[in-house]
Amino acid sequence: MTAIESSKTYTIPVGPLHVALEEPMYFHIDVEGETVREVDIRAGHVHRGVEYLTTKRSIYQNVVLTERICALCSNSHPETFVMACEEIAGLQIPERAAYLRVIAAEIKRIASHLFNVGILAHLTGYDTLFMYAMQVREIMQDVKETLFGNRMDIGAMCIGGVRYDLDEETAAYLSAALDKLVPEVEGLADTYRRNHTILRRSRGIGVLTKQQAIACATVGPVARACGLPYDVRVDAPYAAYDRLKVDVPTLVEGDVWSRAMIRVAEIGASIQLLRDCLANLPGGPTHLPDRPDIPAGRAMGKCEAPRGELVYFLKTNGADEPERVKWRVPSFPNWDALRFMMRGAKIADIAIIVNSIDPCVSCTER
Amino acid sequence: MTRLPHDIQAQLAAAAPGGVEYSSTTTPLGVVTAWCGLANSEDLLAVGKTLLELGARLAMVSALQPPAPEGEEVEESEEGANEAAKPAKEAPKTFGGTQIDGKSYELDYHFLIGGDFLTIVADVPAGGSIPSLTPLFRAADWPEREIMENYSVIIRDHPNPTRLFLDPAIDAAVLERLIPFSTLVNAASTKALWDKVLAAKGEAS
Repeated sequence: MTAIESSKTYTIPVGPLHVALEEPMYFHIDVEGETVREVDIRAGHVHRGVEYLTTKRSIYQNVVLTERICALCSNSHPETFVMACEEIAGLQIPERAAYLRVIAAEIKRIASHLFNVGILAHLTGYDTLFMYAMQVREIMQDVKETLFGNRMDIGAMCIGGVRYDLDEETAAYLSAALDKLVPEVEGLADTYRRNHTILRRSRGIGVLTKQQAIACATVGPVARACGLPYDVRVDAPYAAYDRLKVDVPTLVEGDVWSRAMIRVAEIGASIQLLRDCLANLPGGPTHLPDRPDIPAGRAMGKCEAPRGELVYFLKTNGADEPERVKWRVPSFPNWDALRFMMRGAKIADIAIIVNSIDPCVSCTER
Repeated sequence: MTRLPHDIQAQLAAAAPGGVEYSSTTTPLGVVTAWCGLANSEDLLAVGKTLLELGARLAMVSALQPPAPEGEEVEESEEGANEAAKPAKEAPKTFGGTQIDGKSYELDYHFLIGGDFLTIVADVPAGGSIPSLTPLFRAADWPEREIMENYSVIIRDHPNPTRLFLDPAIDAAVLERLIPFSTLVNAASTKALWDKVLAAKGEAS
């Protein structure tokens, strides 16, 4: 009988279709026993050529198209795209529109973060908590359906403002929904803070150091869980964020648990932002009166999407169609960080670590 | 309230002996977007080193092929002999002298310092190359691989110049070619549709 060399490394494939992955991505993983030694990430399974398509659609059609790049951060794409258009055209959106943009973005952020922390519970095997988190998320899904008429693609953005408005009734509905949400989120936060199952599967798992986070250029909750406080809403304010107090929670451990707790804390911060917006919502129009032409020019746009900084580059030449639209989603740099997070991890933790960056494959591959 | 150093233009000019073309705008909320064109794209690494020392983060790299201006073609004239005597009209050039002929590349390296954008614009003629930024910025790896599969621009010394999103079986430089939609989607439904159309046409005739 031949003795098995204990130090030998084997390769195991994870994905592209895997029960623990929400979207297709292929991980080529070298393991030694149960321990991950090296990770190679191979992408491209949902590449759709949307970036090319944007140059074949008019600038106004692209407001609709960019919302279809992703579901969970669907609002962030058209929001950043229209910001770039407005920069080129030199447009200043109405004050009410600036606040309404914040409201739409924060509603989407809460729903997105609840989905991610819910999936963490599912991957730890704590399905009761998963279903509870998804039930809490339904409050925000109902808010989106009531305010925008849709549960995912909310169609709120337009060049020069927003396409929706709040009246007394819908504002009161949103306010009541937040009242309902607060104790539920506090309960969830308490569970994630104390529950033994969650803590055992997430604390000290998938650690990313601050230096590694800087090297990978990570953004969003992944970076903030490593002690990097960068948040576009504060560091490069847009819409009405300069007039609002944005709480940016940070932690230093850089593990799966920290990334989840950042998201839970950000839900609370978003609730406060929504309350502040409702309390200070100015009157006036929700968008500019005319549909402006976008002249030749170039501009950058960025916003804080639920997963972090979303960047758009727009170049126009005065034609109906843009000459080039390019965007970089927050997941794009965050994938690279997985190589550090997974090194030395156990095979059983791979799915939990992948989920902890809240990856969006549709966004990444376009 | 720019986060860019007050002497950023001078620092960039010092790093790029070929010359730079600098401009910037500021939003009403104080966020700066700066653009720095390089006359010589070979200055990219030196400029990248300066930005690394300033704590810049590489946020994105964009590539495009600026179209040649319309109406540049020499029109056929009835007075052919006189026309031949005129000098040929040259294609316009970028700041660095690269011809904008629809085949050259513009590579935009979007850096962030704090919340402010600084984009380094480098032009590369058709068939040309540019150094990889990966020795300085790890985050350049994926964007440069994506550019290499979309265009035929050569990025030198990339540590892993393999396909990122597109299958190796797909031809190179997809964004420089017209690909019929039926080919793109493997024609699975299109063929069935055409069979139906042709069958219906056969019945009609």
